[in-house]
Amino acid sequence: MQTLIYFILVPMVYIAFATFFIGTTLRLVKIFREPKHPATLQIYPEKKPQWLWALHDTFLFPSVRRHKPVLWVFLMLFHICLLLLIVGHLELFAEFEIFQIVPHEVFLGQGYVGLIIAISLLYFLFRRFKSPVRDLSVPEDYYLLILLFLIVVFGSEMDWARRWYGYDVMTVEEYREYLMSLLLLQPYLPEAVTESGHSFMLVLHIFFANLFLIFFPFSQSMHSFLSLPMNKLRRG
Amino acid sequence: MDQKTRDDLLNLFQSKLNEAMRFYLETCTRCGVCTEACHVYASMGQAKYIAAYRAEIVRRLYKKYFKGRGKFWPSVGEAKELTEMAVEELFEAAYSCTGCRRCMVYCPFGIDTQMIMSIAKLLLIGANAEPEILTLLADTSVEKGKSIALFKEGFMDGVKRLEAEVVAKWQTEAGRTAIPVDVEGADLLYVALAGAHSIIPAAAIFNAAGENWTLSFFEAVNFGAFVGDPTKTRLILERIVNEAKRLKVKEVCICECGTAFRVMKQLSGKQPFKVSSITEVHTRYLREGRIKVDKSKLSGPITYHDPCQIARNGGVMDEPRYILQHLTDDFREMTREPKYNWCCGGGGGLVALGEETLDFRMKSARVKVDQVKATGAETLTTACENCHTQLSNLNDHYKMGVEVKFLSSMVADALVR
Repeated sequence: MQTLIYFILVPMVYIAFATFFIGTTLRLVKIFREPKHPATLQIYPEKKPQWLWALHDTFLFPSVRRHKPVLWVFLMLFHICLLLLIVGHLELFAEFEIFQIVPHEVFLGQGYVGLIIAISLLYFLFRRFKSPVRDLSVPEDYYLLILLFLIVVFGSEMDWARRWYGYDVMTVEEYREYLMSLLLLQPYLPEAVTESGHSFMLVLHIFFANLFLIFFPFSQSMHSFLSLPMNKLRRG
Repeated sequence: MDQKTRDDLLNLFQSKLNEAMRFYLETCTRCGVCTEACHVYASMGQAKYIAAYRAEIVRRLYKKYFKGRGKFWPSVGEAKELTEMAVEELFEAAYSCTGCRRCMVYCPFGIDTQMIMSIAKLLLIGANAEPEILTLLADTSVEKGKSIALFKEGFMDGVKRLEAEVVAKWQTEAGRTAIPVDVEGADLLYVALAGAHSIIPAAAIFNAAGENWTLSFFEAVNFGAFVGDPTKTRLILERIVNEAKRLKVKEVCICECGTAFRVMKQLSGKQPFKVSSITEVHTRYLREGRIKVDKSKLSGPITYHDPCQIARNGGVMDEPRYILQHLTDDFREMTREPKYNWCCGGGGGLVALGEETLDFRMKSARVKVDQVKATGAETLTTACENCHTQLSNLNDHYKMGVEVKFLSSMVADALVR
């Protein structure tokens, strides 16, 4: 058991990050080195400046807002919370003054960020159970949503326990100790991380997150990098 | 399917994989926002007609043969082998799609389903499963480009016979030809379709505007583009490019044909001439006061159908409305925004296939009929040959009771001194 926990918390994290970074880079390089399409792929009417409208389309999903308003609300919530979670996790490595412009306690969001993202994911999942989205979906779509849900639930539970139930065995300092040791390639597991009552949640959170990172470069999640150039093509 | 055939088809697939195509094949999240975008789905309600579903037919082959996942874990994306069955599915997907790109407006990423369908069409050609007639028509066009001398005399005779009708619409000045052909140094080369309706009104308007123009030997329509054969598309296009260069014209004006306009405008590359649609040219004449039209020549409410390849995909949206302002006081829009206008259901070669696709074309365009009816218009006008044929068929089939007219012929009928 100890070996398994060690494997998930140390070597597998390295494997996952390596796959994520190298895989994503190689795939993007491959795609961007293909020859450009010889003609415009624009949709008219044209609005200038095109790059600004492309940014608008990429980050505000105007077509979803117009045609599927409920989905749009959840999509916006999900993606905004995703950004906040990335910030929150960076703060588990060390203090970043820039993020404290809006003063907050680490982990940010008082537990609600995770809650909102979990609800959004359930909405995305359940809407796939109904036609016509059901007819379009392939296993990948379900796997990714389930995987993300598991990551979020186990991750958030640790946060919720500290925030809402006063469970204070695992502290921010201990996360920082663990994560910085990984970053500095001198892996060290503080006792609270492996031995406390909630460490199984941490292990599962990291396990599923590792799986997600490994799958990322080969999945439709690549839309996070491709959406902007595609929207630019449509804007001309 | 034997290994050799499959390898050949996969090579064709590979030839289509440029940067944009990779974007489109990698990205779809199957979110379903495009569901309501397709007129075929909106009219017939079957999931196989949703844009993302069509694209997935091609994407499954991509996942099988062009992604590592296809070897290690094909089931995760429902990757599919290229079999006879798959070819049938490709046919169904490609030839029920008109390439109108309305779904591209809906997609949060802007995936171009028409472009993905171009893979399907190319694979069908490779598998000898494309609609033969389109290939035959494309070959005829290519052949005509190679041996123009053979066609020249018959063409000239045909044009001569039309001249009287042009003069009947607009009296040309003494000593000027009603339909000039092969004039070196003309300002404008007009590329028409094989058919008097595409030549007579246009010629009358050019003459009325005092344009220094000349008629192309070639018909504008590009059957290579309909059947999805990139080589033939280019050969058919180059006939006109070469003619324009030989005659040293400043402008090439494409008749009312959506595909011809988009191919010429977007695929001809950098050339010493500019490319315009006839609608743009007529708008210019009106703006500059080179022609005058009389509103009293037309009566009743008029609506305009935006041809997909000219409007949403070609950018000509304001011009037809400007012309219509001069033709009527009762113009009625079909949609709030032209880019959301429904496709007529006749594009992508479907109209060219005639009777064969008639039943499907009528069923798949019910939403278009509802849209036209809702305007209460008596005249339905458009600026594309395919759209005109399809809308006329719809008019007969659904007893819409409208008159379907070309915009250019309405301009010609309303010309005044």
